[in-house]
Amino acid sequence: MNVVIASSSIDGGIGCWDLQTGAEQLRYKTCASPPHGLTSVGCRFLACSQLRDPSATSGHLLYWSWSKPQAQVKSFPAEPIKPLIANSDGAYIVGGGSSGDIYIWEVATGRLLKKWHAHYRAITCLVFSEDDSLLISGSEDGCVRVWSLFMIFDDVRRQQVSHLYEYSFTEHTLRVTDIVIGYGGGNAIIVSASEDRTCKVWSLSKGRLLRNVVFPSIIDAIAIDPGEHVFYAGSRDGKIYIAALNAESSPRDNYGLHIIGSLTDQSKPVTCLAYSAEGDLLLSGSEDGMIRVWDVKTQNITRMFRHSKGPVNNIVIVRLPYPLGWAESKSQPSSRKHELSLPPPLEKYANSTDEDMDNKAIVMLPDSIDLPSYLSSHLINDHIKQLQQQGSSAVAEMEAKRLKADCQRSMEMFQQLRKVYDNLQEFCVNELLDEQTMEGSKGN
Amino acid sequence: MARFDQLENMYDLGLKPVMLRSLIRQYLPAENHPLNLNNSCFELPSLVSIVQTHCLLSELDSQSIDPKLINTWKSAVDDWLSCLLSLLSSDMSDKCWVGICLLGVTCQECSNQRFLSSYSIWLNKLLSHIQPPADSQLVKIASCTSLADLLTRLARFPEVKKDGNLLAGKLIQPVLKLLNEDNVEAVWEGAANLLYALIAFFPASIHHYYDKVEAAIASKILSGKYSTKTLKKLGYCLALLPKAKGDKDSWSLMMQKFMISINDHLNEAFQGVEEEAKSDEARRLLVPPGKDLPLPLGGASFKGTSSERLPTATISTLMFCCCKMLTSSYPVQVTVPVRSMLALVERLLRVDGSLPHTMLPFMTSVQQELICSELPVLHAYSLELLIAIIKGMRRQLLPHSAYIVRVVTRYFKRCSLPELRIKLYSIIRMLLVSMGVGIAIYLAPDVIENASNDLNSLGGEDIETSPANTGPATGALPQLSNRKRKHGAETGSLEEKRDAPSPKVGESNTHQMTPITVKMAALDTLEVLLTVGAASKSESWRSSIDSLLMKTAINSCKRGWGNLESNIFLPHESASVWADFQFSSLRALLTSLLAPARTRPPYLSQGLELFRRGKQEAGMKLAQFCAYALFALEVLIHPRALPLDDFYSACHNSTDGASNRFLENIYSGSRKQNTSFLSDMRRTEQGGVESHDVDLYDRWLQNENENQNENENIPVEDMKDQTSRPNDPSFTNVLEVREQEPAAANADVHMRTENEIVVQPCHLEESVPKSQGVASAKAVMSPAVGTNPEGSEIESKTPLSASDRLNDTNHDMFSCVDKVDGFDHVAGKTSSTLRNAEKGSSSMVHLDSDSSMDSFPGIVDADPDTDADSD
Repeated sequence: MNVVIASSSIDGGIGCWDLQTGAEQLRYKTCASPPHGLTSVGCRFLACSQLRDPSATSGHLLYWSWSKPQAQVKSFPAEPIKPLIANSDGAYIVGGGSSGDIYIWEVATGRLLKKWHAHYRAITCLVFSEDDSLLISGSEDGCVRVWSLFMIFDDVRRQQVSHLYEYSFTEHTLRVTDIVIGYGGGNAIIVSASEDRTCKVWSLSKGRLLRNVVFPSIIDAIAIDPGEHVFYAGSRDGKIYIAALNAESSPRDNYGLHIIGSLTDQSKPVTCLAYSAEGDLLLSGSEDGMIRVWDVKTQNITRMFRHSKGPVNNIVIVRLPYPLGWAESKSQPSSRKHELSLPPPLEKYANSTDEDMDNKAIVMLPDSIDLPSYLSSHLINDHIKQLQQQGSSAVAEMEAKRLKADCQRSMEMFQQLRKVYDNLQEFCVNELLDEQTMEGSKGN
Repeated sequence: MARFDQLENMYDLGLKPVMLRSLIRQYLPAENHPLNLNNSCFELPSLVSIVQTHCLLSELDSQSIDPKLINTWKSAVDDWLSCLLSLLSSDMSDKCWVGICLLGVTCQECSNQRFLSSYSIWLNKLLSHIQPPADSQLVKIASCTSLADLLTRLARFPEVKKDGNLLAGKLIQPVLKLLNEDNVEAVWEGAANLLYALIAFFPASIHHYYDKVEAAIASKILSGKYSTKTLKKLGYCLALLPKAKGDKDSWSLMMQKFMISINDHLNEAFQGVEEEAKSDEARRLLVPPGKDLPLPLGGASFKGTSSERLPTATISTLMFCCCKMLTSSYPVQVTVPVRSMLALVERLLRVDGSLPHTMLPFMTSVQQELICSELPVLHAYSLELLIAIIKGMRRQLLPHSAYIVRVVTRYFKRCSLPELRIKLYSIIRMLLVSMGVGIAIYLAPDVIENASNDLNSLGGEDIETSPANTGPATGALPQLSNRKRKHGAETGSLEEKRDAPSPKVGESNTHQMTPITVKMAALDTLEVLLTVGAASKSESWRSSIDSLLMKTAINSCKRGWGNLESNIFLPHESASVWADFQFSSLRALLTSLLAPARTRPPYLSQGLELFRRGKQEAGMKLAQFCAYALFALEVLIHPRALPLDDFYSACHNSTDGASNRFLENIYSGSRKQNTSFLSDMRRTEQGGVESHDVDLYDRWLQNENENQNENENIPVEDMKDQTSRPNDPSFTNVLEVREQEPAAANADVHMRTENEIVVQPCHLEESVPKSQGVASAKAVMSPAVGTNPEGSEIESKTPLSASDRLNDTNHDMFSCVDKVDGFDHVAGKTSSTLRNAEKGSSSMVHLDSDSSMDSFPGIVDADPDTDADSD
């Protein structure tokens, strides 16, 4: 079941719709999120950083389980966190602070594993690479940086290098508004959008700029077509521009070089985009509080979801393994109860109260499904081999037993024969004796 | 029976009851008839195989089947079963054994309906044979196995789960009795089979006997006296035991007990070969200070091991248990003591039999010999444990991955036993696959070093060829070895080692022979490294690895093709090792050709040739792979995607600067409207490179120079031809001009000047305002320094050097001046924001002058007036 979740910068809760049917599901209450602040943690629950008081020195983060509208866990990180992202299996949550620090928490324990100073200004967006091993961050200072998590966690190597990042792309001149990463592991491309009205395409393998696309207006959101034919750029003038990656583009395009078209609905500025590979749908969130679902083939709007009056600034498509509401309706037959209970809140500082936990990790052991294997026929072959070789003690024992039985039978036979013989002898003797007495009597 | 003559063919259902009846008549001994072990018993496997092949017991039930046939079949199966049951109740153990075995097969083969209706009867019948009056070993073992099969089948029906648990509960005490009171190892093995089925499928039934089961198994393992196979089976049961309770704590407790027990045994075993401090440290990790020690494994402490033997069997079984605990699923999340497990692995791998200095007087050579003989087994198990940790923890291993990498790479340097090396390679593959690109960047150097050592050393496959033959074999690829020498300077140590074997072949022959299996592991690992990490920072090793893989593939195939079909003369009918090796080398070659690179794959033609030959000549599997390889490589030859890279020329600028500058001028001349955009791009792009990282940039330039050196013998004209040809029609004009040029000593400089004049004469006029432009660029640098503290070092340096150099060139060299002017001129035209322009132009100036100096040292040398060195 694919669901769309969306949140807004003005408290309208988190809207949740079934992408196939369009039916609205639960609405999760009290959520005012910054851009890129909403994430689904391993499809187990929702997490969202909160925009409350701009002057506050500490921020807060909320967790919702899929089945309950109220936020259930509240965390207070050391500073306001804006972008928030979890890796694909939901083991870690990464948050970007307004001071330019990046925080990594372990979800299962809530421990703050690492914190490092990544940018000079606030982090605006965070993205994991396909294999979760690289983290890409964008910042208000216009910088896009690529981090290897392996390096971040390697305390020894960290001291030997002059900087932690793998790449630092500095060509954007203003705030980075969105980053997406394409397909291909280490050879992937990164597309970043910035308030300098450009989108830039970077090569992760070469560590340099591949393409620069200048747009007529500021781009706040980008989404990439999984085939990397084009990417979509949601702009403040209300249009969604289609920019060429592998597509043909002529130098005389209407909007500029590499921009091959646009999707328009005379709407207010586009604030967020998401691409659903199933059915090739593009979802766009707008400042008018609507979420439009576009069919990218026909370039038509196929559906609209109304979120709230305020601007939608996050859309996430989550592929749930089971339908929503499944948990309550069925009295869960399986033992996976843990999916319903949320992990503890995230810790504020790295000083762990339980030092022992540093040496341990809470994990869900991998499931392995095996076809049942039957042993009897193997056992027969095994035992027959032993019998043929007459080697093992077990066989000898069995043979002995058979011999014993044979012996017993022979003994019985013997006894019987003996009895017969005795009878016969007795009979003969009697006969003889009888004859003698008869003869004796005759002689007399 | 009446339909006998109407049978159509072997698929006729009517055949089945008939066959079953004749099987009963032929093979199953009647109750009163004595069984002759020498014939009917040995026929059992063929009986079973007929029953299984023809599904004689399945009693297919569907609408389309004649009800009469169903009845006949049913009565045949009834007969079969009554026959089995009568055998089962026979007091002759051999008959009984036959009955039990066949009942086990019946549990697997019969229809659902029949199974559900009679499983409890069967279970009770079988149960009686593992209880006291039974005395035959074979009967006990067979009953245990048949019961295990029955439970396995029963577990597939969730609706009888409750009943199943109840019945399974009845089995536990007899099984425990077998374990505790019987003293024959084979019976324990059978009991372990049954226990496994109980724990795996009906864990709830064990719950009440948890401690007893633990104690029974633990005593066997800790005594360490039995065969590895039995101990492993028992250990597996013990590892699964926590499932019976299914809560977080019992898992952790069991794991902690294992670890403590291993630790205690190790302390004893390693007395004298490691420092005392190590064992204390391990202990501290296991039981944090202030916490209670759990009860020892099995409830009471077993101290039965004699001191002459090392408790290897016990330690390895316990480690096997840990592995199984980590890799079997568990209903709830568990807390894994990762750190102490890794410490255990490290501790084991660290001990290599050498004696620490402090211990020298206390050890006898016999003791040392003993330890050394057992260590490979322990090392193998600790690597297994590491594999299990990686499997179990997956992504969550991240915080510990650096530690693991250090342990593995350190051990890699010392480990020379083939089996252990193969395991190490597989660990590295797992790390690469599970941790992805991020780890590949840092693991690559070690992997490359080890794999190329292994692949370059003389291997088992070369034994038959005399030493004289091995020389020409490597020399058969002149272009490869040539290339190798060229790169020699670039990757210092690694290359030296690669080159080393050829002269030393004779000497190293005796002691160092890499078995072919290790080479295969090395190839597979290189393959994974290329798939995961070829795209990221691979410049330093890529070309050497490509050539190594090409060489290996050619060598592996030069003496014909192996056969991947199974060979019945080998155990388990496995395929021949040689064919496997060829397969690995071809796979690795394909990966090296396909993996993303900055240049065209250098050995594409040789590779294609090899695959083409393989497709025609090799056996089924290899030919299939070669065909796939040819198919996959097609995309390389006819690229389908449009190049995304707008700055390809800019990138190439770095490798051969002159021709590119020249190219860029052509651009600006012919397509005015694009120019501003393009050069804007270029500037920003290069600015990025500059501020990116000083080290990286320097390295980059170094590589450039090396490339340059490499190309030195190639005429400059050729180089230019290659790069500029596809770009513009105006090229032809330029070419003409160049051909008319007199061949001067510093031809390239003049030539460039000439070209620029030809294409863009307007630049000449603007040469005067240019130097002002540079000055302004320098002036606006200062605010930029403030905004980007990190790059401050670079930036404060670069304007200075750039302008200095500019001044020099300004006086002497017309062309340089002209060029810089060109950029400034363009920069003036750009419509981007002011800040953008500042940033761009400054970096541009730097890069331009820099690259013209560095990439063309000839300019400096040729002109005596240029004294770039003096500033």
